Amino acid sequence: MNARGFTSWIAAWAVNIPIAFTALRTNLMRSILTTIGIMIGVLSVILAVAVGEGTKVSVLDSINALGSNMAIIFPQPENNGTRRVVDRGRLTERDARAIQRLIPGVAGIAPQLRSTIQMVIAGRNATTTAVGITPDYGKVTNVDAETGRFISDADVRTAARVIVLGTSVANKLFGSFEPVGQTIRVNKVPFTVIGVLESKGSNFGNDNDDLAVIPISTARQRFASTTVQGPDDLHVLFVGFEDGISLPDAKKAMKRLLRQRNRVGEGEINPFTINTTEEFMKESSQITGVIQTLLVAIASISLLVGGIGIMNIMLVSVTERTREIGLRMALGAKRADIRNQFLVEAAVLCVIGGAMGLILAMGAAEAFKRLADFPAPIGVGISIFAILFSAFIGILFGGYPAIRASRLSPIDALRSE
Amino acid sequence: MKNPMSDTPPLVETQGLVKDYFIGGEVLHAVNGVSLRIARGEFVAIMGTSGSGKSTFMNLVGCLDVPSAGTLKLDGADTRTLDSNALADIRNRKIGFVFQQFNLLNRTTALDNVAVPLIYAGLGARERRERARETLTAMGLENRLDHTPAKLSGGQQQRVAIARALVTKPLMLLADEPTGALDTQTSEDIMGIFQTLNQQGITVILVTHEADIAEYAERRIVFRDGKVVEDAAVTKRRAAA
Repeated sequence: MNARGFTSWIAAWAVNIPIAFTALRTNLMRSILTTIGIMIGVLSVILAVAVGEGTKVSVLDSINALGSNMAIIFPQPENNGTRRVVDRGRLTERDARAIQRLIPGVAGIAPQLRSTIQMVIAGRNATTTAVGITPDYGKVTNVDAETGRFISDADVRTAARVIVLGTSVANKLFGSFEPVGQTIRVNKVPFTVIGVLESKGSNFGNDNDDLAVIPISTARQRFASTTVQGPDDLHVLFVGFEDGISLPDAKKAMKRLLRQRNRVGEGEINPFTINTTEEFMKESSQITGVIQTLLVAIASISLLVGGIGIMNIMLVSVTERTREIGLRMALGAKRADIRNQFLVEAAVLCVIGGAMGLILAMGAAEAFKRLADFPAPIGVGISIFAILFSAFIGILFGGYPAIRASRLSPIDALRSE
Repeated sequence: MKNPMSDTPPLVETQGLVKDYFIGGEVLHAVNGVSLRIARGEFVAIMGTSGSGKSTFMNLVGCLDVPSAGTLKLDGADTRTLDSNALADIRNRKIGFVFQQFNLLNRTTALDNVAVPLIYAGLGARERRERARETLTAMGLENRLDHTPAKLSGGQQQRVAIARALVTKPLMLLADEPTGALDTQTSEDIMGIFQTLNQQGITVILVTHEADIAEYAERRIVFRDGKVVEDAAVTKRRAAA
């Protein structure tokens, strides 16, 4: 098709647009109601895609917030479907040091002891999770102090009563005042605030800044809870790896090492669980993929209903305007002209509905982000797709009525009342 | 000596034309073997009572309906060999229809109504408006271009409809009871327009059941029970004032 042929082809279709608007204005209420059907359909499909996309992004963000190339080891018996409650897990600081020493490619280890603490200063109080750490925690999880300083080796060695606050906790306790250098009471024991952590934002309404870090030795001394058995037990161990290290291989090596250290016999359950960020990502993208497919499938049903509404209204329109069809044929309209006229009418209805659905979806996505802190990104791609898809729905569901109209015999159509 | 006119075929030529309808298992021969010729430039009135087959014949000539048997040649072309697109093309380029109930599109201006056939002729928007304006002006409606049918009188509506029939510069006008919905004075005006157009060379075929309307034509064909029972020149021809 040359350029001239293409322009006249466009013009031949475009001629139907004002005709469509005249027809749609004639039955304004009916047109609006039909459009709303499509609008709701497009709105729900776009939102489903956007929410699915947002879930994916959030999950990846929260995994990345941990650190990119990392294994997470819990002292929980590995769940292979036959979990026995009697088996208690075991993970110690000595295990952590063995991993650092014997496993190749380890960039750093972050052994942790976690406990819930109550903080008070000048009548204000806050409850949060205190993570007992070593200085390497900062390196492994990509976090540092925004103001003040981070936990040091000396702090750990001396079991110093120092604390670094997450931004949320700092805001709650100090508001606009400078927290660094202040003394707060943590479970009635005075601690010096030595720093405030960089903000890590939030995912799914989960505040990543609602925590405080203290030296692991201090945590063990002051807050050691009943959940640990031995003198150097851990709640969790992060192992950071250098770039280019194969996480599955590293995981195998750590498993072998820990089985050896725990004297786990052949066929016995591991008293520890190792997850890697790679596995998290794979699993979560599978799960979010399934969620997204389900959401879109459900949303598509409403678009289908909207499409059936289009077909219904176009059939009514063709029946009502049989005489007009006959007249147009008498004046020289070919079958294709009549078919295209009704196709364009259906497509115009759908594109208007689709555009309104898109605008509403953008509003809803913005509201999600602001009110529920949930990102539902609507990109240019999905927007264009939504409009084109609406037109496609119009042509699909308007197709049958349009073809029916075009097959009328001129004289029968002209004679109809 | 060769007659120069013999090279031009008759505009309408039918041979044993038949149109059957099936109603409740009965066959009705609405048009039952009609053979006639209408030359270019004629002004023909087709008369007959209701059910005589005159309208059915008109619909066949206008390519709105297809014959059951017999042949129909329009401007030399055998219509039975033509597909629906070619027939649509003939309706568009060679025939202009005028109906009893005007059949204008509601909520559409006179200008846009007249431009409709030009859409199907494939003309661009600018040319469509230009030609529709010219044709409406020729009908004396230059001040009514943007009026919708609801704002026009019956006579004005029929003149818009005639403009629409003429806008593609067809060879013939087919008018089915064009004065049926009009008063006597307006009817006379409309017939005057047809006479003027005929003098300018357009073939006019008019279906009517009113004898005095038929007297504006120059040839009268009378149908009864699907057959032609009379075909003669109009003796006392009326001329519109």
